[in-house]
Amino acid sequence: MVNLTIDGKQVTVSKAATIYEAAKEAGVHIPVLCYAKKLLPYGACRVCLVEVEQMKGRLIPSCTTPVSEGMVVITTSDEIKKVRKTVMEFLLVNHVLDCPVCDKGGECDLQDLTYELGATSNRFEGEKFDLPTDEVNPLIERNMNRCVLCGKCVRVCDEIVGYGSYSFINRGFETKIATAYDRGLDCEFCGQCLSMCPVGALLPRPFKFKARPWQLKEVDSVCGYCGNGCTVTLGVKDHKVETIRFNDKIGVNDGNLCVRGRFGYSYVNHEDRLTKPLVRKNGELVEADWDEALQAVADGLSKAQQGQGVGILSGARLTNEELYLLKQVAKVVGTENLDHSGGECYKGVTEGLKGALGVAASTATFPQIEKTNVILAIRSDFYETHPVVGMVVNQAIRRNGAKLAIVADKKGKLDKLPGAKTLLSKPGLELDVLNAMARLLLDEGLAQTEGIEGLEDLKTALADFEPSQVAERTGVDLETLQATARQLAGAENSAILMAYGLPYQGLNKELATAAANLALLVGIPGREGSGLYLCGEKSNSQGAIDLGILPQNAGKGAQQMLDAAAEGKLDGLYVVAEDPLSSYPDRDKVAKAFDKVPFLVVQDLFLSPTAEQADVVLPAASFAEKDGTFTNAERRIQRVRPGIPSPGEARTDGAIFSALANKLGSTVTFTGPAAIFAEIGKDTKAYAEFNFNEIGPQGVVWGGEVLQPVCKKVVAVSGGSSVKGDFQLVTGSALYHSGTVSTKAKGPMAVLSEPYLELSREDAKALSVVDGDLVKVAGNGTELKLKVKVGNRLPKGVVFAPYHFAEANVNRLYKGEPVIAVTVSK
Amino acid sequence: MNAYTQVLFKNRRSNETVLLPEYEKSGGYQGLRAAMKMTPAEVCELIKGSGLRGRGGAGFPTGIKWSFFPADQPGDKYLVCNGDEMEPGTYKDRQLLLADPHQLIEGMAIASYALQTQIGYIFLRYAYEDCFQRVERAIEEAVEVGYLGKNILGSGFDVELHVHGSAGRYILGEETSQLNGLEGRRPNPRSKPPFPAQRGLFGRPTNVNNVETLATVPHILTHGTAWFQNLALNPESAGTKLFGLSGHLNRPECFELPLGITLREVVEDFGGGVRGGKKFKACLPGGASTPYLTADHLDVMMDFNPLEEVESRLGTAGVTVFDEDTCMVAVTRNLNQFFARESCGWCTPCRDGLATISWLLDRIEFGQATNDDLAMLKDQVKNIKGRSFCALAEGAMGPVEALLRLFEDEIKDHIRKGCCPFASN
Repeated sequence: MVNLTIDGKQVTVSKAATIYEAAKEAGVHIPVLCYAKKLLPYGACRVCLVEVEQMKGRLIPSCTTPVSEGMVVITTSDEIKKVRKTVMEFLLVNHVLDCPVCDKGGECDLQDLTYELGATSNRFEGEKFDLPTDEVNPLIERNMNRCVLCGKCVRVCDEIVGYGSYSFINRGFETKIATAYDRGLDCEFCGQCLSMCPVGALLPRPFKFKARPWQLKEVDSVCGYCGNGCTVTLGVKDHKVETIRFNDKIGVNDGNLCVRGRFGYSYVNHEDRLTKPLVRKNGELVEADWDEALQAVADGLSKAQQGQGVGILSGARLTNEELYLLKQVAKVVGTENLDHSGGECYKGVTEGLKGALGVAASTATFPQIEKTNVILAIRSDFYETHPVVGMVVNQAIRRNGAKLAIVADKKGKLDKLPGAKTLLSKPGLELDVLNAMARLLLDEGLAQTEGIEGLEDLKTALADFEPSQVAERTGVDLETLQATARQLAGAENSAILMAYGLPYQGLNKELATAAANLALLVGIPGREGSGLYLCGEKSNSQGAIDLGILPQNAGKGAQQMLDAAAEGKLDGLYVVAEDPLSSYPDRDKVAKAFDKVPFLVVQDLFLSPTAEQADVVLPAASFAEKDGTFTNAERRIQRVRPGIPSPGEARTDGAIFSALANKLGSTVTFTGPAAIFAEIGKDTKAYAEFNFNEIGPQGVVWGGEVLQPVCKKVVAVSGGSSVKGDFQLVTGSALYHSGTVSTKAKGPMAVLSEPYLELSREDAKALSVVDGDLVKVAGNGTELKLKVKVGNRLPKGVVFAPYHFAEANVNRLYKGEPVIAVTVSK
Repeated sequence: MNAYTQVLFKNRRSNETVLLPEYEKSGGYQGLRAAMKMTPAEVCELIKGSGLRGRGGAGFPTGIKWSFFPADQPGDKYLVCNGDEMEPGTYKDRQLLLADPHQLIEGMAIASYALQTQIGYIFLRYAYEDCFQRVERAIEEAVEVGYLGKNILGSGFDVELHVHGSAGRYILGEETSQLNGLEGRRPNPRSKPPFPAQRGLFGRPTNVNNVETLATVPHILTHGTAWFQNLALNPESAGTKLFGLSGHLNRPECFELPLGITLREVVEDFGGGVRGGKKFKACLPGGASTPYLTADHLDVMMDFNPLEEVESRLGTAGVTVFDEDTCMVAVTRNLNQFFARESCGWCTPCRDGLATISWLLDRIEFGQATNDDLAMLKDQVKNIKGRSFCALAEGAMGPVEALLRLFEDEIKDHIRKGCCPFASN
């Protein structure tokens, strides 16, 4: 710690602090423009200049100068005031000052500073900038006439996002911020730059001319997309979410968001939202009132349960409280057939981690990743599925020099990070690579074996995973494999990351087990600063596991329910917040199941392909209309708050479950999410220590920042298998989307509007196809036509299709395998 | 005709570059041999004791800079030679590299040893292709005989040198910008602290010295500090300095002269006096960012401290002379246009402030100014000096400040007459 004096106040701060940070801590205000908490010190705008007694003769930039013992700082004097005012005069000479039509007006740093520093007139003259506005893309407008060259957009895109869209170009007075070749912005549109821009130079186009900032009601909530659990602040006007606001003061994400979080909100305002319950009459779905619809559901489910039984399939985007109520509904109906997210993809957590560590969750929190020395990512898609954790990985590498290795069947955004090493394996064989690393650790005596059970069995099982043989079999570079394993063993702290979700049905348990083995052998679980992360695709994937939305006792899992229904052995299906026809593997089987099942209820936001098949459709509320909690992939329980009322008669899933339970004869009633949260603690012990109303802006983490494993048991897993065929198809997530909901959102759709088949340049050349050409993809007895997208992520012979688009029918090819043999032709 | 002891220009001949054998014959690489018999710390001490001050413009004592360098720190460390000679009116490093480049190679080998850096980069100005070839050839020669490369002179110490051509911007001469440039980034300056000695090139400890500074080092090792100090005419100073003369002189050439020589001797004896028999009006003593000297200063010693006493600086010792018919407002305006254009555009006072200075000087020069503009110009200097991110804007204020201090009457003449009083000439 260091002691210094700021404006006569004694301050004691960390020696790593800057003068600005010390002043902030002491409650002394220093104006800033180019400073941003989450970016590295910069010091260009010169608004924050102060006097330091020990450095007389010049003014000192407080935002870049570290404190030192005994420093005497003066933050305001006539000289300082004059300099700051002059800086404003400089900036205002050429600034267009079109505040009346600028969306930033009212929350513009340039306005605020001009006011604060009293720059009421300007002694200088100069021409106003007259640069063309960049409106090439649908999401971010760039008006460089308003730019004050603080460089925050350049820095955030480089330091945090790792994309590097922007740079300063030109010299002197001609200096401006530009994109590559000054051709207009063409990036992945996470909008981090928007959130950093202090003026109206960068603005979200969907929000243009929608509201003045002060007219917006701000509601802090959690993003409804992935398991990252980013805090979002809804900007609400006239009962409509008009924008997502920037907030780096609260939450788990430092104000960072991806394209989905920032621009994907618009589905909540979509005109296709269901507003009334629908009941099938004479083969047609017709509007009905709630009482009629709920009665129909209650009658139908009761009847089905008396017959061959009812199955309940849930999505993982309900709140914890709603999931709890769903479980109660299952009890009242009397069924043990309960499951979520297709029933397979989460088994890495519920069976893999549970078996090895005795806990079914990631072992550490996200911020710890930034401090690790070595990061191993399994599957390259992590940046695509959980972009904001990807940003943490980027910072670990760029700021702290962490080493990153990726075991995957294709390259992704992670592979572009500095120094990233890709262990590019044949599809289906990533598992073997992990096993080979475990083998190497044991062979070379690098493994931490103390207190670990199951070592002998593991050693026996690893006989077939001699690294050089595995390297040959999988196509992975042997030296990289060896180096990665050794790095992991030698690292002070390390992280192993793996994303799971609907498009990754195959080998989840096995991959997670192999990852857990590796983690145990290098001492990750339970170690402060290290972690094994399994991150779910949906906003409450972890909550669904914690709450036990899983087959009860001898009950059927999702796939078994669908099998049974397809065979005519299940009489009712209640599908909540899921569109299995679009997103579950093996669409034909799912279609058959829905066709055969006598009674189908679908509860969703939209009339999805699944809902079109239903006997009763119940209109549900989106995350922006709900009060409750989500648990993110690092076990953080966070508050979801309603910003808008639901459209029409749509109700929250929780309200529907309550009403339905009552219709079914239950007498239990709950008075709001706080009471239900308290109930959850009775079943889910980890939640018992928290009080709903005391969950603060940072949320609460069950199990603590580092979750101690219950057991440490390495478990033998056999290897994967590759497929032979002209082409090997892998499915997964595309960066701009999450599940199927994002296909109803303007933002992600504006960037990626159609399904595609991605293939390597080599393959494209061999097939003589270019971007946009249609190709036939055949496999698993099905043939589809998809548009070609040529990229450099895939090795020759491997093709990729994202699973988000219902109309593409990719899930007719894909039946849950890790990889599918297909043929591709023109 | 130059009777002073020649050190750096000892072997200089017109249109010819000294190759290794000749350099060795003239005592070349004896300094390196001497250094390798000492400990690195002893070499630093010797340079510190010699009184050598940086020849790049700032005049910081080289030995003290070296003593701040964490030579003992394990891991990669770098030595960078700043050869981005872009200061208007400065061309001495070019003359040195064209004449006798091995001095730089030897100096860098010694510095690498003293600072325990393994890799050195010579950062050359974009336009210096001729120097580039000669330096590369000198490196090849030195590697061949073992003055560079692995295990130099059997000492077990390795030195690797690379030449890097600048992308061609004035700001690259600023040491931290240069490091960004070497890394392939946009050459904005970096904030200090951390200083390059702590976190420099690629985030590792880095020492940056000027070409002439490094080229002087071997001679100190060979001949000792007493000899070096005796070279200067000013007993408080040490060594010789390359003076690049330009402007309205009869002989605008580059000379090696002792520090402490008077401006009069430089202008009259070496520069051959002002062209066309005109009177000496003013000069830039050391490049475009040094405040003017006038005829009143002709007997001032051309040396670091004496020039600071008359509110100027020795800078690079690139002396640009202006005759009596020169409009100093026009000169200053021209210089300021250069600095405004070459500002990296990062910090507000430099990017926008220099533009306003240009705007004011335009108004004065073209007779549109009022006394308010003069007052504003005076105020502006204060708003820019000591407020900017790096030394560029500070340097740009040198001539402007001197214009206001020494030639205020000339400015007022412009304002009163509503035009440039020298325009008819």
